[in-house]
Amino acid sequence: MMTTLIGRELLNNLMTFRFAAALLITLLLVVANTVVLIKDYEQRLKDYNTSVQTHHQEIREKETYSAGEVEVDRPPNPLSIFNVGLDKRLGNEIWIAHNNVPTLWEARMNASDNPYLNILSSIDIVFIFKVVLSLMALLFAYDALAGEREQGTLRLVLTHPVRRGHILLAKYISAMLCLLVPLLLSLLLAMILLTTTASISLGTDDFLRIGGIVLTSIAYLSVFYLIGLFISAVTQRTGTALMLAMFVWGALVLVYPNLILATIRSSDIPEAKAVSAFNEIKQVWDEFDRERKHFLATDAFPGEDPTFNINGMGFFYEHFPENRLTLLYLYNSMMTFGELDEKFEEEVPHAQNYFQFLIPSTIKTAERAWLIRKQALEDTLVQKSNMKRTLLKFSPVGMYDAATQAWAGTDLKGVRDFFDAVRQYRQTVIDYFYNKNAFASRKWFAADEGAADWRTLPTFSFKRSSVEINANRALPDLLLLLTMSLLLFMIIFLVFIKSEV
Amino acid sequence: MWHIAKRELSNNLNSLRFALATVLLLGLMLTNAIVHLREHPERVQRYRERVSGHQNHIAAHASNGLYDLAQEGPGNLYKKPSDLRFCAEGSETFMSDRAQAGYHRWSTGTLKSFWILAYPSATPNRDNVRPEVTKVDWGFIIGYVLSLVALLFTFDSISGERERGTLRLTLSNPIPRHTVLIGKFLGAFISVSIPFILAVLVNLLVISTSSGVHLDAEAWGRLGIIFFVAVLYTCLFLALGMLVSARVQRSAVSLVILLLVWVVFVVFMPSTLASIAGRSTSSGPTYDFSERSWKLHNELSSDYYSRHYKEPEGSTKRIEIDGAYVTKDAEQQEQLHEARLNRRIAEVHRARTITRISPVTIVQNLIESFAGTGFERHLQFLENVQTYVREFRTFIVDTDSADPESLHIFGVRTGMSQEPVSPEAVPKFEDTLNLSKDFNTAATELLLLTLFVLVLLSGAYLAFVRVEV
Repeated sequence: MMTTLIGRELLNNLMTFRFAAALLITLLLVVANTVVLIKDYEQRLKDYNTSVQTHHQEIREKETYSAGEVEVDRPPNPLSIFNVGLDKRLGNEIWIAHNNVPTLWEARMNASDNPYLNILSSIDIVFIFKVVLSLMALLFAYDALAGEREQGTLRLVLTHPVRRGHILLAKYISAMLCLLVPLLLSLLLAMILLTTTASISLGTDDFLRIGGIVLTSIAYLSVFYLIGLFISAVTQRTGTALMLAMFVWGALVLVYPNLILATIRSSDIPEAKAVSAFNEIKQVWDEFDRERKHFLATDAFPGEDPTFNINGMGFFYEHFPENRLTLLYLYNSMMTFGELDEKFEEEVPHAQNYFQFLIPSTIKTAERAWLIRKQALEDTLVQKSNMKRTLLKFSPVGMYDAATQAWAGTDLKGVRDFFDAVRQYRQTVIDYFYNKNAFASRKWFAADEGAADWRTLPTFSFKRSSVEINANRALPDLLLLLTMSLLLFMIIFLVFIKSEV
Repeated sequence: MWHIAKRELSNNLNSLRFALATVLLLGLMLTNAIVHLREHPERVQRYRERVSGHQNHIAAHASNGLYDLAQEGPGNLYKKPSDLRFCAEGSETFMSDRAQAGYHRWSTGTLKSFWILAYPSATPNRDNVRPEVTKVDWGFIIGYVLSLVALLFTFDSISGERERGTLRLTLSNPIPRHTVLIGKFLGAFISVSIPFILAVLVNLLVISTSSGVHLDAEAWGRLGIIFFVAVLYTCLFLALGMLVSARVQRSAVSLVILLLVWVVFVVFMPSTLASIAGRSTSSGPTYDFSERSWKLHNELSSDYYSRHYKEPEGSTKRIEIDGAYVTKDAEQQEQLHEARLNRRIAEVHRARTITRISPVTIVQNLIESFAGTGFERHLQFLENVQTYVREFRTFIVDTDSADPESLHIFGVRTGMSQEPVSPEAVPKFEDTLNLSKDFNTAATELLLLTLFVLVLLSGAYLAFVRVEV
C-alpha cells in the first residue's frame, strides 16, 4: 500500500513543470557559480603561495635575530567553495614575535585585492541551496494537502483502508526524493568540476566533510518541506497556502536574518569590561617597564640609555603600540646594526647583558598579558558575536548556515584553530631562540661577526582539524534541524488526523 | 477601465497577501527608521568633532610658520555623512570615511618628507568576527521585498481569471483588451503601492519628528526621486508578472516561473556577475605597490646623495637640491597613490557595468546615488578632496611668493617664508553633496530601468492581446 502511495506521489511530483524548472535552475546556478568559485579559490591559493615564498625569503635576509619577525600565512580553505564563512574575511597573514601572543585580531590581509570590490556581493554553493532549495521545498509542499482537498482526491484516497499517517509519510518520502534530485545532481556536477581541477586536492576527510554538508542540506530541505506541509495542512485553499508559504519564506530567508541583527546595537566604543582588562594589561606592561628601567639604571653601564650609545648603519626604536578595541598593548623594540664600529666594542657586552635580561622578561610579560587578554577578548568580542549567531539560529537558515560552516571548517572555531596553531608555533620559535642562546648572543642586535642563522628555523605548517572535530561542531545544529523536522512532522500528523476532509 | 481597476483593487485589499505585505513592509520600514535614529546622531556628532579637529590641526601648524604647514599638510579630510543614509548604506561600510592629506614616510637629520595625499581603504571586516548580514535599508526593502511582493500580487492576475473563467466574462463586454490590461495593471499597482506608501510614511514620520535628525528641502527632493525610482521598479515587476501570467495557462506554473526568474535576477545575478567581474579584474598584489614605491624613492635618494655633498654646506645651491629632492619625492609618491586609486576605481566601474544587467543592482545604485551614499558619492568626495588639496597648495605657493624675504625654495625650512601664517587665511575643507552631479551619474541607470519597464510592459500587452480565452 505504502509503495503504491509513494509511487503515485512521485509520479505526480516528477511530471510537473516546477520540478523541471527547479532542476534546471539549480543545476545552472550551481555549475556557473562553482566555475567562478574555483577560479577565485585558485587565485587565493596563488596569492598564498607567493606570500609564503616572500616571507620565507624575507626572514632569511634578516641579519640579526632581533630584526627577524617571522610571518605566517593562512592557507585558503578549499571547502570555502561550499560555504565561505569567515575564510575570506579574516586576516590571513600574521607576524610572530616574542613580545606578543598573536590572535586573529592582529592578522592582516596579505592580499592583493582592491578593497572597493568589497562593495560587490559574493556567493557560495550553500547560499544557492539556502535560497533555492527552501523555495523549491515550499513550492512542492504548499498544495500537497490543500490541493488534494480542493480537488476532492483526498476524500477518494481516504475511502480506501489507508492510515492517514501513511499518506503523510508517503507524501513526505516522495517529495523528499524529488527534491533530492536537483540537490544531488548539482552537487555531483560541482564535485566533478572540483575533482578535475588540478590545483584542488581533496582528501578522504574532505569528502566526509562534503558528505556532512549534503546531510545537513537534506535536513534543511526537510524542515522547509515540512513547514510548507504544515501550512498546507492548516489552510483550506491552495491560494491561501501559497501566499502564506511565500511570505513565510520571505520572512525566514530574506527578512529575519537581516532584521534581527539590525536591531542589535553594535558600537565601536569598548565596554567597561574591555576597558578594565585593557588597563590591567597596561599595568602588567608598566610593571615590566619599571623593571626594565631599574635594570638599566643599576647595571654597570652609566645612564639609562637602552642603546648603550651604540650607533651605526641600522636602527633602533622602542614604543608601546596599543589598540583599545582589540586590547592590544605591548612593548615593541628593535635594535639592529649591520656593521659595528670598533669603538663600540666596550659597550657590546653591556648590551648583550641587557638583552639577556630583557627578552625573557618580555616573553614572560607577554604571557601574563595574554592570560588577561584571552579571557577579556572571549568575554567581549567573541561572546557578542556568538550571541548574534545564536539569534540567527532561530531561523532554520541560520542553523543550516552554521552547520555547513562548521563542516567546511570556515566557522569561527575553524579559523581560530589556525591561530591556535600559530600560538604553538610561536612557542617553537621562542624555544628555537633559547636553544641558540640568541638573546644573549651578539647576533641579536649586530651582524658584524656573522649574520643570524635562520637555516634551522622550524617551518610552520597548519593542518585543518580532523573531520571528527568538524562533525562535533556541526552536530548540534544538524540535530536541531532534525529535531525540528521530527517535531513539525508530529504536529502535522496531529493536525491532519483531526482535520475534516 | 476604472471599474476594472476598482474591482482588482477591492479583490486585493481583502486578500491575505495584502495584509501580509503590509505587515512585512511596515515592520521593515519601522526597524529601518529606529536603527537610523539610533545611529545617525552619533555619526553626525563624530563628523563634527573630526571637522573641528581638522581645523585645530591646521591652526596649530599655521602658527608654527609656513614650512610646518607645507610639510605637515592639512591632515585627515573626512567625508560628510549623508542624512539619507537610511535609504542606502549597504556599501558605505566598505568605503573609507576619510582621505589622508598628511601621509608621511621618512625623515632624516635635516630633511623631512613632505605630505602626500593618500587614500586609506576601509577594512571593516578584518577584525570582526560577527556574522555578516545585509543592512535593512530602503535599497534592501525595495530591491528584494517590494519586488517579491509585486510578483505575488500579479502572478495570477490573468491566468487566475482565466482558470476561474471570469476573464471570458469580462471580455464579452464591449471593452478593448488594452483597457482591461491597463485597468488590471493600475489595480495591481495601487494595491502594491498602498502598503508601500504606508510603510514609507511611517518611516519618514518617525525619522522627521525626531529631534536628532534634520531633513532639509533638498533631502525631501531626493526622497521624492528615490520614491519615484521605487515606483518605476515596482512597475517593472508588475509588468513582468502580467507578462508571464498572460503567457501561461495555470497560475501555479506562472508563479514558479516568476519566482525562479526573481531568484535568478534579483538574488543570484548580482553576486554571480560580481564574482566574475571582480575576479577578471583583480589587480596585482599590494606588495608590488610598496616595492615600486621603494624603488622610486631609492633611485631618487641615491641621485640626491651623489649631488648633495658636492655643494658646500649652507649654500643656496645645496638648499635648492634639498628642496628639489623633497618636492620631487612627494610628487612621485603621490602620483603612485593616485594611479593606484584610479586603477581601483576603473576596476569597480567595469565590474559595476557588468552587474547592471540585474534590475536590483540598478535600483540599488540609483538609490545610493540619490541618497548620497555608495560608490558614486565616494568618487564625489575624492574629487572634493583633490580640489581642496590643489587649493591648499596654491595657498602655500601664494603666501610664500608674497614674502619678499623668502628664497622660494620649497621642501626646506630655510628656503621658505619665515613669516607667521594667520590660521584664518588657510583654506578649510568642508565636504559637500551636489544633486546635479548625482543626476548626471544616475541618468544612464534611470534610462536603463525605464527601458526595462517599457519593454516588459509592451511584452505584457502583446501577450495579452494574443491570448486565447
